[in-house]
Amino acid sequence: MYENKFQWARKIGFGFRPKDIIPENIDQWNKEQLNSDNQDIGLNGEGVWPESYNFSLEERLNRLHTFMTKKEKYESDKIAPDEKNKLVRIARDENRVHLYDVYKYWNNAIYGRNTFHQRLVHFWANHFTVGGSNNFRNYIIGDLIYNTIGENLDGPFTDLLQKVTLHPGMLDYLDNVFSSGENSNFTKTMREEGKTAGLNDNLSRELLELHTVSTAKEYSEKDIKNVAKILAGWGLIVSNYTREFNQEKSNGNIKKNIRFEDFIKKPYLKDRSEPGKKNVLGKSFSSGPGSIYKLIKMLAEDDHTAQHLSRKLAIHFIGENVSKQEINEIYQTWKASNGDLAEVHRITLEVSQKTNVKKFLWPTTWMFQCVRLSGAKFISDKNRNNGFGEIQNNGLPKYEPLGILDEIGHNFWSSRQPDGYSEKKQDWVSTEHFDRRIRIASRIYGANPSMSGEEIAEIYGFSDRTKMSISTAKTSKDKFIVALCSPELMEV
Amino acid sequence: MINRRHFLKAMPPALALSGYPVHGFTKDAIDGRIIVIMLQGGMDGLLAVPPIGDDDLFKQRKALVAANPLKLNPLFGIHPNFKNFSRLLKINEASIVHASSFPYTGRSHFEGQNISQIGLRKPFSVDTGWLGRAMDVAKITGKAMSLDAPLLIRGAMEFDNFYPASISNTSKPKNDLLNLIKNSHDEDMMKTFEKLNQSLMQGSDELRARDPLSLAAKAGEAMRHNDGPRVAVLTIPEFDDHSSIGSTTGHHPDLFTLLDSVFGQLKESLKETWKDSIVLTTTEFGRTVQENGSEGTDHGYGSVGLLAGGLIKKSSVVANWPGLSNKALFEKRDLYATIDYRSVCAACIEAAFGLDHGLIIDKVFQDKNIKRTYHHIFG
Repeated sequence: MYENKFQWARKIGFGFRPKDIIPENIDQWNKEQLNSDNQDIGLNGEGVWPESYNFSLEERLNRLHTFMTKKEKYESDKIAPDEKNKLVRIARDENRVHLYDVYKYWNNAIYGRNTFHQRLVHFWANHFTVGGSNNFRNYIIGDLIYNTIGENLDGPFTDLLQKVTLHPGMLDYLDNVFSSGENSNFTKTMREEGKTAGLNDNLSRELLELHTVSTAKEYSEKDIKNVAKILAGWGLIVSNYTREFNQEKSNGNIKKNIRFEDFIKKPYLKDRSEPGKKNVLGKSFSSGPGSIYKLIKMLAEDDHTAQHLSRKLAIHFIGENVSKQEINEIYQTWKASNGDLAEVHRITLEVSQKTNVKKFLWPTTWMFQCVRLSGAKFISDKNRNNGFGEIQNNGLPKYEPLGILDEIGHNFWSSRQPDGYSEKKQDWVSTEHFDRRIRIASRIYGANPSMSGEEIAEIYGFSDRTKMSISTAKTSKDKFIVALCSPELMEV
Repeated sequence: MINRRHFLKAMPPALALSGYPVHGFTKDAIDGRIIVIMLQGGMDGLLAVPPIGDDDLFKQRKALVAANPLKLNPLFGIHPNFKNFSRLLKINEASIVHASSFPYTGRSHFEGQNISQIGLRKPFSVDTGWLGRAMDVAKITGKAMSLDAPLLIRGAMEFDNFYPASISNTSKPKNDLLNLIKNSHDEDMMKTFEKLNQSLMQGSDELRARDPLSLAAKAGEAMRHNDGPRVAVLTIPEFDDHSSIGSTTGHHPDLFTLLDSVFGQLKESLKETWKDSIVLTTTEFGRTVQENGSEGTDHGYGSVGLLAGGLIKKSSVVANWPGLSNKALFEKRDLYATIDYRSVCAACIEAAFGLDHGLIIDKVFQDKNIKRTYHHIFG
């Protein structure tokens, strides 16, 4: 049971800031957290995120297209290599998107009031990992996180699963954009021309194993293949999206009346799809774009999905030593509500409040909490103080917010494996990880915190042992670092 | 005293593994080094070491065969990007084990990676790695060249990692600060702090490069000292490509070049210690024999292992070649693994740590059926 309100606000969110009015009634605060929406940022005039740096999916793909077109032009122009590199660099910087997304990620965590919502966004962004890469998926990862996941956390899991699975980032990351039905017109034509084409089962496999039923379901290779057949025809390669859209339109594979902004919501190419019936887990699916929606609904509503995801949520919020009963409480609610995420998230919060199990926090969760609770200005518009300062520098987005995420090994824009980041303490306590925590704590100290190490220890109910370490430290900086790197702040 | 290994060799193999109490070291401790390079994502073994003497290769694969492989013997060639490795083969300092895999046929990266690190048949069944358990039995230390501590070496009494930080306006923490932090933490964190303290003593905050090549250089440098780590683990990620993976050139071939230069770098930086070292690759599974629809290959079964180091006396390509005709494939699609790769790992442990094969398969891999391949690989 979380008696200390300050610790509780960290268990499910990013904690209170020194300026916050601490709620008398924590149940009321819990309600606010459950009802807060995706945009609840900067309401006190601080940390308001500029609308001009929120990008729609269409804008993102347009920026990417602009950059690629300029890049190709410069590369074919007859100019000196130095000049060429410079022009390409400028074109890239002018059209950047993901560095703003990363800055926003910090900004929202530090200034937002909807911290349970944001923690949920991070959980689901990890569950539905789309790795970044130098082949331009970074342009649209922010859309997946903010516009797709962030906007679909209070409805049926089916809706979230459907939107994420058909997001251009997911279709690209797990290679579905390279998949075409064995008997599709596209594959036949390609093969007649001596080129290779056919099914790719990467997304299909992870949709089953990671995103929904897990290997506990004991599906067969044949099931995987048939899911791949249903998925064939969905998606376009992100790096070449606009051009391929135009090409497919002029080839007649996309109907004339379908606009770009419509297509990106339903990126289906009939000539790459597999004709005929498909059988998955004993259920038959007809040909055409409707099947994927039926398949996703079936997988989302499967009992194994409920089990798999209840367990994952429990481990993420409650801790890796969560009890079977605690998981079961979430599972029962999942079943009773048929996967209504508003209900599932509510029960996750309630079970977390009652538990005695501790969770070792991800490095970014801990870092954002430390900035917030100490009143530091790691992101600050007015006073740089070893923070990041303005969003732009000489008209270009800052790199360091991304650089730090990379350094601490927890970066949703990095290239990584589809099973996401670990939830286990032992994966985050290597000497190198710990070295970075201490460095980050010293950076936060340099960002003008309003709380001292001793004050933090008092408010957060540190043990006598930790308080002793803090009082023994010689400088206020060391006291602060000891407080931030304490077990009480790393594990909650 | 009778040398236990020779004694066992003299016995019929059926008896060798039963009826004798297993003791720890079998001879004077060998001061060997093991470096594992984890090829994450599933390396396409048929692209790396193509069986050019098997006509079925060209029937099964249209595009994904390098144009000019270096011929090793009538059956096998090696991708031309393995320049350093080919040279090591020539001077009897490298071997290849083909059509091999950890005992896993499920084609999931995560289960496969788990099994390649725990070395047991059931994924996620323990929290320790095969190399960690081997280090524990041999009572030696190791180092992971990564931000985290890979499962592969967990279970060892002592290991550390190395992956220098690069955060502006920060420096290495001082020892007294570290001790204060340590005092507030529980027992389970003490190892982390001890190691962190030690790494601070060594000073130097200058090296920032963290690519596999620089880490290989650092690994060799650390390991060649008498009291340095005896084990190192490096990771080369991104073998998980499913489309346009490349044949003569391309993404997979680029990774071969990187892997090849890591072999070269290790030999160079280990210096004298190279003669006591064995470097081996692991990967979670191989790829399908046929190409998929996008000039790539999908998750499969059998792959290839590359080994190099001065502990090898005679180079060889070890394989019990299953063939590539449709009939010969595993589930009609994958290269059959006829050698349990754990027997290769066991041979490396035997060579570097001087542990008895029976002890290794009992304590490390917990499977008495793992065959001894030492003499095949090390000559």
